[in-house]
Amino acid sequence: MTRPLEGLRVVDFTWVRAGPWAARWLAILGADVIKVEWPDPAIGGSTGRVVRNVPGMGSTPDGVPRSMNSDGHFNDMHAMKRSVTMNLRSARGLELAKKLIAQADIVIENFSAGVLKSWGLSFPEMQAIKPDIIYVSMAGFGHTGPRAHFQTMGPSVQALSGLTYISGIPGKPPAGWGWSYMDDTGGMYGAIGALTALQHRTRTGEGQHVDLSQVAAGMTLLGPALLDLTANGRGSRREGFPPGDRAVWPGTPKVHNYRGPIAAPHNTYRTLGGGHNDWVGIVCQTDAQWQALKHAMGDPAWADARFDTLDGRLDHQDEMDQQIQAWVEGFEKYALTDRLQSAGVPAMAVQSNEDRVEHDPQLRARGMYDPASHPILGSWPMQHAPWTMSGTPTPVDRGAPICGEHNVEILCGMLGVSETELREGYADNTFWPKSVPLESYLLEALEAEQVR
Amino acid sequence: MTTDQSTVSGPLTGVRVLELSNQLGQWCGKLMADFGADVIKIEPPTGAAERQVGPFYADVEDPNRSLYFWHYNTSKKSVTLDLDQPEGRDLFRRLARTADVVLETMPPGTLDAMGLGYESLAAENPGLIVCSLTDFGQSGPWVGYQMTDMLHLAAGGQMAACGYDEVDDPERRPIAPGGGNGYHMGAHYAYIATMAALYHRSVTGQGQHLDVSAHESAALTTEMHIPNWIYTNVVVQRQTGRHAGARPSAPSQIPTGDGRYVNMGGGLSSSFRAFVEVMAESGQAGDLQDLKYLDPDVMQENTDHIRNQIAQFVKTVPAETSYVAAQEIAGMPWGIVRAPDELLDDEHFRERGFFIDVEHPELGQTFTYPGAAAVFTATPQQIYRRAPLLGEDTAEVLGAVGIDASRLEQLRASGVV
Repeated sequence: MTRPLEGLRVVDFTWVRAGPWAARWLAILGADVIKVEWPDPAIGGSTGRVVRNVPGMGSTPDGVPRSMNSDGHFNDMHAMKRSVTMNLRSARGLELAKKLIAQADIVIENFSAGVLKSWGLSFPEMQAIKPDIIYVSMAGFGHTGPRAHFQTMGPSVQALSGLTYISGIPGKPPAGWGWSYMDDTGGMYGAIGALTALQHRTRTGEGQHVDLSQVAAGMTLLGPALLDLTANGRGSRREGFPPGDRAVWPGTPKVHNYRGPIAAPHNTYRTLGGGHNDWVGIVCQTDAQWQALKHAMGDPAWADARFDTLDGRLDHQDEMDQQIQAWVEGFEKYALTDRLQSAGVPAMAVQSNEDRVEHDPQLRARGMYDPASHPILGSWPMQHAPWTMSGTPTPVDRGAPICGEHNVEILCGMLGVSETELREGYADNTFWPKSVPLESYLLEALEAEQVR
Repeated sequence: MTTDQSTVSGPLTGVRVLELSNQLGQWCGKLMADFGADVIKIEPPTGAAERQVGPFYADVEDPNRSLYFWHYNTSKKSVTLDLDQPEGRDLFRRLARTADVVLETMPPGTLDAMGLGYESLAAENPGLIVCSLTDFGQSGPWVGYQMTDMLHLAAGGQMAACGYDEVDDPERRPIAPGGGNGYHMGAHYAYIATMAALYHRSVTGQGQHLDVSAHESAALTTEMHIPNWIYTNVVVQRQTGRHAGARPSAPSQIPTGDGRYVNMGGGLSSSFRAFVEVMAESGQAGDLQDLKYLDPDVMQENTDHIRNQIAQFVKTVPAETSYVAAQEIAGMPWGIVRAPDELLDDEHFRERGFFIDVEHPELGQTFTYPGAAAVFTATPQQIYRRAPLLGEDTAEVLGAVGIDASRLEQLRASGVV
């Protein structure tokens, strides 16, 4: 069966994380995503391969020789794409990039504002090559405005957008986000922008530039907090905010904290074992759920009529949480999750990365980490799509390309480069950086083609 | 107050969506509506439960005054239908014949039991795309579990990664970041899947059923944490205001002279030396002007020392001073940790048209809303109208499928609408 985006072609100039993550989903959905690479460490590893190759930073598995093709994270992030190497700062490289764009539907990149323009690939220049091209740029501040030249990484996007501030416990520094949430979510908005613009192109034939700002993407996620400010004049620099894991911090005004209905209990509790991730979240959004929890705990004497109402539970939240904690710590987190859910109480184990892969029965049943193969790494679990499409299945059945894996089919097959030129280009800094030893598989692929 | 679809010129113009959704799906529907789709929110006659979620305008609880509902339901229409009554289901079916997409978040099996499942609706409209966004998808051992925003953050791995160093929180408890992001993640994936299915339909004419899991969406949203486990068996540990990691790393969220915080972003690059010149102006450069740091290896070996020295300086000046210097002079990707309160004054995003004033005529007020993540040069994302009042568009929408005023009165009297 076909995938939903079959027939579309994407030129992928992305690097680091947010851009590659956006293009990954277009590839899984069936677009021919061509990752254009230049694996020269001197320019910061524009491919992401070199950055990840710093000892101690990467995720090359034990027993696999470290190389630009050995990183596990890269394998997951660039699944299902094709790879071509060309030097975009050479005249020939730029010419070929333009030929590629002429055969593409979408161009996507997440460099700082102005980088593609400096290569000679501004949006008007792309339109001259391909009038209905969709161009998605993903700079931190976007391509216009007084601070368009400011640079960001995930943590600064989160800080500037307000997301960092809304994570934490009153009286402590912000806890923030323990990973680049906005590289994931910025990636989502890159894919959202591409596919939304595609809808317009399908209807009208018109392409456009989607000028994404990752900081703005983060700011859209704070709507109720911003409206509380603009409509009610209630700011976020206030007592009891952010409220940790609570809906309302004990002893502070019972106002909404932008995480849904006010509820109590609404907290995490330490479970048996006491390890770093031995915790369970428990939430009672209704009095009936509280009664169910109370019953599950064996109707203890402390859980008297004071706790029968939400107001009462909020008024005695610390006492309630201490008592629940004392009960919870006798249980293993998954056993307790099952026990409470069976009793009608919303509860869930706090899951680590290991837990999700090894211990989450739901993800396992849905095939979330089914394996796929990579030319050098072999077969490894991949992160699959969170959807099942009845008409157009989208399994992740191929890992990332090795660097330049598709040079012959793209450069010679699509762009009219002769095999002689390709061979010469491997030596003269056009198709491979002079500073990097040429990978033998590139020549082998070329020889196989000549034999054929 | 009506939305005239003939004047709408967004990228999704011409796409009609029936939204039968709780808090899982309202963000997905809002994106579609602000992009110009005709999104009809089907609510029970008593109103969607999200209308009961605060904060409320002027703290007055009312189904039409929830700021939470306002934000997540801009540009949509509201039609009330009681799907527990046969006439309500019949009207839903009639609307589904006119729709391109049904976005629904009911527990698995609910729509089938009502006779409104994908197979049944598609029999009358083969191009229809039904996107079912649910906590766990349509199958699996946890399907019956009751979830909330925070519990998704627990299951998805977010909480395991967010928290504090021991010095800040001896318990090192996992923290659930706020803002409803447990639901945003599933909404983003549901939106992407729906757009892809629409494209496929434009080529083949075929609709389909999309089974989207909020849990799987969250489990995908921890950057490299899953590959870290798969390839290197690393379990990450929480740290204050920075990435969780296998080993402790130096703080990167630094208090400033004006009581705020600056995040020093990613790794250290050689451009830090330009920032040292700024530090030197007030005699705070320490030894960082030493030429030995020109050597990239020496710089790498002394990363913690350099960052600590920079942090000492950051603590003495206002956040804006060190942030702007880092960006303008050294090109370092720093950010001020801004409270939502501070966003409105941002000249950069004002100039990009991020903030949108939205009229609430029944209140005689106009309020500023957050706008679009991206500037679309041809078809901008807009807020066409404030969130609908409960049932505001029932007469118009049902009128278009043959329900005249007298029939509507009968339906109202019997509680169907």
